[in-house]
Amino acid sequence: MRKDVLIIGGGATGAGIVRDLALRGVECALLEMGDYCHGASGGNHGLLHSGGRYAVTDPPSATECAKENAILRRTAPFCIEGTDGLFVSLPGDDPSFADPFLKGCKGSGVPAEELTAKEALSAEPGLSAEALRCIAVQDGSIDPFALVQANVDSAREAGAMVRNHCRVTDMVLEGGMVVRVKAFDRRSGEILTIVPEIVINAAGAWAPQVAAMAGCEVAMGLDQGSMLVVDGRLCGHVVNRLRPPSDGDITVPNHTATVLGTTSRPAASPEDVAPSRNDMELLLRETSAMLPALRHCRVVRAYGGVRPLPGRGGRGASRTFSLITDERAGNLLSVVGGKLTTYRLMAERVSDQVCNALGVRAGCRTRTEPLGPPVDEAGGSVSLARLRRKYGFKATTVSLADQRMLCSCEQVLRAEAQMVLAGPDALALSDVMRRTRAGMGYCQGLDCALSLQELMMEAGGTEPLASLTEFLEERERGQALASGDQLRQEVLRRHVLRGVFGLGERE
Amino acid sequence: MSEVLVVGSGAAGLFSSWLLARDGWPVIVVGKGTPSSAMSTGCLRRMPEACHEKALNFLADEGMPMVTGERTGISKLGTPFECWLSPSHSTWGPEGAPGSVTVVGFQGHPSLHPNLISSVLGHRGIRARPLTLPSTLPPDIPLTALFRDEGAWEGVATEVQRTEGGTVLLPAFLSRRDYWRLDWLERRCGRTVLEAVTPLEAPGQRLLDLMRARAIEAGASIWDGRTVTSLTVENGSVRTAIVRGGLEVREMEVGALVMATGGALVNGLGLNGRELADPFTAFKVLDDGDVLRGGYATEKGRLVSRSGNVVRNAAGAGDCVRAPCKGYGDGLPHAFESAWTAVKALEGA
Repeated sequence: MRKDVLIIGGGATGAGIVRDLALRGVECALLEMGDYCHGASGGNHGLLHSGGRYAVTDPPSATECAKENAILRRTAPFCIEGTDGLFVSLPGDDPSFADPFLKGCKGSGVPAEELTAKEALSAEPGLSAEALRCIAVQDGSIDPFALVQANVDSAREAGAMVRNHCRVTDMVLEGGMVVRVKAFDRRSGEILTIVPEIVINAAGAWAPQVAAMAGCEVAMGLDQGSMLVVDGRLCGHVVNRLRPPSDGDITVPNHTATVLGTTSRPAASPEDVAPSRNDMELLLRETSAMLPALRHCRVVRAYGGVRPLPGRGGRGASRTFSLITDERAGNLLSVVGGKLTTYRLMAERVSDQVCNALGVRAGCRTRTEPLGPPVDEAGGSVSLARLRRKYGFKATTVSLADQRMLCSCEQVLRAEAQMVLAGPDALALSDVMRRTRAGMGYCQGLDCALSLQELMMEAGGTEPLASLTEFLEERERGQALASGDQLRQEVLRRHVLRGVFGLGERE
Repeated sequence: MSEVLVVGSGAAGLFSSWLLARDGWPVIVVGKGTPSSAMSTGCLRRMPEACHEKALNFLADEGMPMVTGERTGISKLGTPFECWLSPSHSTWGPEGAPGSVTVVGFQGHPSLHPNLISSVLGHRGIRARPLTLPSTLPPDIPLTALFRDEGAWEGVATEVQRTEGGTVLLPAFLSRRDYWRLDWLERRCGRTVLEAVTPLEAPGQRLLDLMRARAIEAGASIWDGRTVTSLTVENGSVRTAIVRGGLEVREMEVGALVMATGGALVNGLGLNGRELADPFTAFKVLDDGDVLRGGYATEKGRLVSRSGNVVRNAAGAGDCVRAPCKGYGDGLPHAFESAWTAVKALEGA
């Protein structure tokens, strides 16, 4: 199969690039080895940065964030909640940090405004009464799964070939160029061969491995970050700590939950995502200093991601991105670093460079072209608004006639899962979960996993035990640190699914 | 004579109560919520060791359908398992599995997953076909609601008759009272009808109902919907207990205590069927590093205090006592054995 451009990696970066190129009329394909977002694009807290976090330490990143934040709110409002954000300092923090912060925001074009203590408490009643200074910024929360899926859908509509569960296994080089790329498609069991003009390595933390297939090296620091999901929305805004970026200083309200983040330690490999009990304690301690209600909340799940950072990585590394070429494979371009908020900008820059090389004149359209429907105005039904937030343009294809529930924790309708299953992307149970949120609530799949698997089989058949086991193992990993009510729930879940059905344990 | 307090009304609690009451002890059973044995298969995978004969007699006297010899049941997921004793419709005999099975489920209802089961059975060499019947019931309404009239049963029979031959597997949604329906369906279709053994449904509850009636008949008092909220231990013996339920708070003298609180029990976490409760911290708990293992420490059936001394008049039975990791159908034999040991320990003291 001949393609102008082959993109490897279906995180936000890859999905952004394939959409950008497809909208410019470039013949392109994207292959993702797992499901979209299976690396860092899914393993983050879903924060749409205002830029404030980088205003002091990394002003170029701050500027990029501020601009992209505004663009995404315009083009992808369906998967963004404009919660706005607060940066608060507490006793023990350096109160004078607020001044360089405000100055940095001003200098890098990040809208920011200081609130009085009274204003801050009235805006965010759960905030600690001890907060010293508080600065309001335009943070938001974003659903990375919905965002990336919308990019994939849009790219497909523009003619691109996009496949998940399709792992690149081999690259053939001739004369210092990648001439053929082979991939294994898990869905069909076939080997695909693609003959590309240009190959873009957007494999995130796996980029060095992909580059190595072409005999190239990509220097990258792998940095693990942990997050906790707590039940319910315990804050209305994104609440950040007003201090130099550090561990446990962000809380993000997202869908039905609040996500607490994050930590930083060197990761041994892209798969080294597991959070530790220390991480969990640290996150609860630090974030509950800002929002005391977090001391009494129910922690539903812990998860982690590996940040692929240019150079050596770590907190000090710049959050901007770089493009790496190597003369050993002249048509391979590796994208390293970057962040979810600025994924579109990265995609635009990469696409500019690619189009330049291909001699394509068309300009970037992603700055204005909508990725999803506008946020519901008054009059729209609650259920449609909820569906729109998850499925964007596809929300109207969910039949509301069948109100039977599949997942009662997250209020997912059977019809939603049926819609997802009718599409080209859901191969395994977890794929349906990421798209519908079924199984993401506090019972973590106890109630819905078997019914969902049955539905998948009605829709066309998967290997049920492998799919169930994979799903349960993934959920179980997030429960390794469970305590209190969540541990009780987990014990019940294990009793039923593992004890009774013998599931969730490796054979 | 002070009463024997049995905490927990699952299989172990009821069996201990019956044994004690039968021997003339005044017994009070405090139960709360649905015990995990109600959600069980109601099957014994092996004969209970210590109380072999008596346990069998007890169940036989109660009219529990008995199967001698090895049988195979199928779970809701299609996983076959061996058991020794079960309701007659949930097993097939040692002559082997049927060559083909029709698995009946109700569309959108979580009681049985025909596609899932058929696939799993297929892996095990049994030809299985799913038959998904339409259902408009929301999943939280019991299936029995669909089967209040003869017409519904006729409908099932007609649909089943349309399928190729072979054994018919139905969800286990019938109460004991309506169990004759399976025989009716068998005659009507001329096919063997089996009930899938499902957790959270009928078979375990049927067993409990029988055991409960037996314990009451022998003289035990069962206080439902109540919890024991505190215990006092003095000079190595349990003395008093506070029992609460609704507006009632009752402090009672305790002659002896049987803890049969069930479930995983590690560092203050108790799992009791669908209900979860904190167990008492008066006794020593062993943690085997897995929330599904561990439990109260015992010495010859008697519980051990936090400081490591044997509590003279307290014994543990069932899942709250540390047990080897159990497989399918092994929970009830353990419950019976440990209840037997607990009662013998108390009667010896």
